[in-house]
Amino acid sequence: MTSFEERDRQLLLHAALDGELDAAGAVEMERMLAADPELAAEYARLKALHKILQTHAPREEASAALRLRAMAMVDPLAPPQREEVKRDWRDPPSWRSFAAAIAATVVMTLGLDRLIATDATPDALTQAVLAAHMRGQISGQPVDVVSSDRHTVKPWLASKLPVAAAVVDLASEGFPLAGGRIDIVAGAGVPTLVYKRREHLISVTELRAGAGAIPATPRRRTLEGYSIIQWSDADRAYEVVSDLAPEELDAFVGAFRSALR
Amino acid sequence: MTSETARRRFSEQVLPHLDDAYSLARWLAGDATDAEDIVQEACLRALKALEAAPVERPRPWLLAVVRNAAYTWFARNRPRAIVLAGDAEEAQAHADALETGVSPSPEAALIEAADRASVTTAIDDLPLAFKETLVMREISGLSYRDISEATGVPIGTVMSRLARARTLLIAKLGAAS
Repeated sequence: MTSFEERDRQLLLHAALDGELDAAGAVEMERMLAADPELAAEYARLKALHKILQTHAPREEASAALRLRAMAMVDPLAPPQREEVKRDWRDPPSWRSFAAAIAATVVMTLGLDRLIATDATPDALTQAVLAAHMRGQISGQPVDVVSSDRHTVKPWLASKLPVAAAVVDLASEGFPLAGGRIDIVAGAGVPTLVYKRREHLISVTELRAGAGAIPATPRRRTLEGYSIIQWSDADRAYEVVSDLAPEELDAFVGAFRSALR
Repeated sequence: MTSETARRRFSEQVLPHLDDAYSLARWLAGDATDAEDIVQEACLRALKALEAAPVERPRPWLLAVVRNAAYTWFARNRPRAIVLAGDAEEAQAHADALETGVSPSPEAALIEAADRASVTTAIDDLPLAFKETLVMREISGLSYRDISEATGVPIGTVMSRLARARTLLIAKLGAAS
């Protein structure tokens, strides 16, 4: 075997590991692996490397401060960003700009609240839900009742609100419950459940059926960098907010909806 | 002044991929504070670019912007690192030697037993061209096509860089234990 062929075999092995082979290529690779113990051993090493990288070199998460700074760049209600844009980015990040970002976001959330009280259009509903989620993240207190046990969260919410919230356990799906809180949407208290995925928070706010124009099948939109998925059934409407990657949030909504059934 | 359109595009196309942007910058820079500076600069560049036109595939595009911001940052702050990147050819030759040399092939179990510190050091020690390819594939899960788009090299080069990066890591982790 020439070294060129050997090199191609190696590259194909990596492509197989990365799921980049088509069906025919994958079958061919399976045949080669079965016939060649050396190649199979190399494949095992590559798989071991992949596993150890997953464990010890996970995807890093942008800090809340960095996320806020990025969001502040496109915040329409923030004061003019001249200083921010002109700032020489070789300087170390200044606390002043961070503080400005928080202030801008807080101003925006407060502003939205006032908007909701007078005008409960569907979009205002979604923005109120998003504002509540953001406020929870900024204050570091995303929940009013801290518990991973739905049998604690559900009665707590029931004691505060006239509606009985649906609380489902998704810990086995990788989304443990962090707790619950009450958000004010369109002037009324509504139950919000908070789930966790690694360091990300997922807020699930339950609204009355017929609130806004929320469709029956989940619809996703992106607002301020957060993914928002909303849907409704016969009795209730749901709005889910998170900065989780879109595909993971889809998985969450899938798990949440099937647990409700 | 930033237009409403650019802001909306930024919210929809850049902010959802901030973790990937940060991960790449974090591994390239090796330091959290420097990585945040690089990502912030990349965000400013991205916003400017989105003013002109939307992008079709935001994730590889944003990573390309982060990568360029990182290299500019290196040129200003760590001229020695950029020399290393420019000498990628030499690094490849070095890798070739390692690949065809006498490096023993460790057991898969030995690789899996590596601890966090040695994994981090092994990645940090990779030449930049290999490191960025490895991070995009193993940590952010990009396809070869996306990596090719983000790094501006043909898919064949992506594949050989990835293979070499992995070979170097395996040799290092196998020897460390």
